[in-house]
Amino acid sequence: MSQKQQPVLEARGLSKHFATGGAFSGGTVKAVQGASFQLYRGHVLALVGESGSGKSTIVRMLARLHEPTTGDIFFDGEDVLAQRGSRALLRYRSKVQMVFQDPFGSLNPVHRASHAVQRPLKIYGKARGKKQLRTKLIELFELVSLTPAAEFIEKYPHQLSGGQRQRIAIARALAAEPEVILADEPISMLDVSIRLGILNLMAQLRDEQNIAFLYVTHDIASARYFADEILVMYAGFIVEQARAETLISDPKHPYTQMLLAAVPDPSRGLRTEDVEVEGEIPDLTSLGRGCPFAPRCRHVSESCHRAMPAPTRLEGGRWVRCTLYEDGAPQTASA
Amino acid sequence: MPPSTEQREPLLQIQNLYVEYLTPRGAVRAAENVSFKLYPNEVFGLAGESGCGKTTVANAITRLLKPPAYISGGQILFRGQNILEMDEEQLRHFRWDQLSIVFQSAMNALNPVLTIGTQIIDAMQAHQSIAYDAARGHAKHLLRTVGIDTQRVDSYPHQLSGGMRQRAVIAIALALNPAIIIMDEPTTALDVVVQKQILQEIKDLREQFGFSILFITHDLSLLVEISDRIGIMYAGKFVESGPSRGIFHDPKHPYTNRLMNSFPTVHGPRRELLGIPGAPPDLIEPPPGCRFHPRCELALTGECDRVIPPLLRIDSERDVACHLVQPEEIAS
Repeated sequence: MSQKQQPVLEARGLSKHFATGGAFSGGTVKAVQGASFQLYRGHVLALVGESGSGKSTIVRMLARLHEPTTGDIFFDGEDVLAQRGSRALLRYRSKVQMVFQDPFGSLNPVHRASHAVQRPLKIYGKARGKKQLRTKLIELFELVSLTPAAEFIEKYPHQLSGGQRQRIAIARALAAEPEVILADEPISMLDVSIRLGILNLMAQLRDEQNIAFLYVTHDIASARYFADEILVMYAGFIVEQARAETLISDPKHPYTQMLLAAVPDPSRGLRTEDVEVEGEIPDLTSLGRGCPFAPRCRHVSESCHRAMPAPTRLEGGRWVRCTLYEDGAPQTASA
Repeated sequence: MPPSTEQREPLLQIQNLYVEYLTPRGAVRAAENVSFKLYPNEVFGLAGESGCGKTTVANAITRLLKPPAYISGGQILFRGQNILEMDEEQLRHFRWDQLSIVFQSAMNALNPVLTIGTQIIDAMQAHQSIAYDAARGHAKHLLRTVGIDTQRVDSYPHQLSGGMRQRAVIAIALALNPAIIIMDEPTTALDVVVQKQILQEIKDLREQFGFSILFITHDLSLLVEISDRIGIMYAGKFVESGPSRGIFHDPKHPYTNRLMNSFPTVHGPRRELLGIPGAPPDLIEPPPGCRFHPRCELALTGECDRVIPPLLRIDSERDVACHLVQPEEIAS
């Protein structure tokens, strides 16, 4: 079990608040509150949530694109935020790479495919001299199954399909020889028939290169398919963590239960579910002190409005933030 | 229950439809020999990947195709009348009165400077002689029907959430009680929970109003869930059509089969999935023979790469265009 090794990347109590509006009328958007989790080598952690739940903000903090309001990030046990200066940042970024959602926007249209992958090779000093650069390029293109590689490196983005572009984005991330890849909705803009190819490619990289993935998605079904463990986010909070299969077969948090009930099920047709799917995600500028899901929750009790419950550890290395599972509370929310 | 389609008169009948786009590189056949029927009180689902022609078909039915796109063949019959031969006046009555559309992006479908109420009232007053107060009353009724607080009648689109905007668009589509509503990816931009709410709403409304839906999406699991029958398009052509449950449980065309094994699900045991190698073809130079053959592991050299497979009725309800699928003896 991977839990015994040291996490390669760890978030501890990460929060991010954004100021909105003007100097006097402004409010605060609490985009992420107290997020803690660990990434392990050769392991995929999925972060699942609806739009606005804060999942991309977490990725941006981990990628050092946003400074966290509070909390810490550790890479191999070292405090990342304590290290200042561009050299430390460069070193960190070579270890923690990103793949973005939009393969049409993340490649420069006036440069050939080779350009995108060459830059990290040069910036992070992974190849010297033309010959070595080309060898590396070919290697990377073959690694992401863009073959014949010698042909693909010459192509422009517009000559490539969405799936091929996303493969180049992955090759670009791999060029830095990272230990962690943060993949923010990497398949959501791709055609259905090629999504699986990208997921299977990333699974292969996890297994063969021992890379840790943080897979961010709104699609809990793809998280189940690709991830070892799943985090569920709602309105800035991580509300539940469990192994992927456990989470799908036995969701604990009422929000996770609602989310799963909302996923289309072609095997039985549309019908009114046992779990009602109602309400809308709250306005993040006017969150109360309690659980943000309380207004939509069918198990709501008075204590839910007082404070967001701390994580309760359950059997099987999982945890959930819900008053239903706090010590002494009857566990009635099982679906 | 899926209606027994064979005995009934179709509401909408698309026959051998061809749509082409003129481009500097040549004519692109975005839809080729497309035929299907939509029956009263039925949901027909049109599925396929981006660029397969599903939206082109929808735009042909509504006559919304603009140059360089044009319909180069076929006919579209609504209750026996050819939509393609309608003049502007007939078309004006046909749209809204008989048919309305819900587009993918509710944000763009609504006018940002008019209130929701005004947009519903406008649609009604343009087509019916109805007094403002009566129209406003009906607008409120429609909003309540789709699950929006009637006070929102004076709200502007930006004051509504994404889900509410899509509900408002559906309310507008219902304004004149049309026989057919075309829904082009109506929930694609929405979160899964909101999507579920909207789909339940659509299902309830259909039971209440009895309209037919042409439902277009790339999301097969969603389509199978909501549709009575579906048609699968690939590179501008129908490759398979039939009852959605039958296609889900027993897909005949290799493309449908692979597509059904391309999306992960949260229901049932976890399975290894393969996806489909390669990418959809460029329609300017589509592959000869079956358009799917370069991606098909079952393709027969000499046949699939040369001969175009016709869409054949293989059993009492299913049409398939594949050389490898032979018609069964149809029990008479």
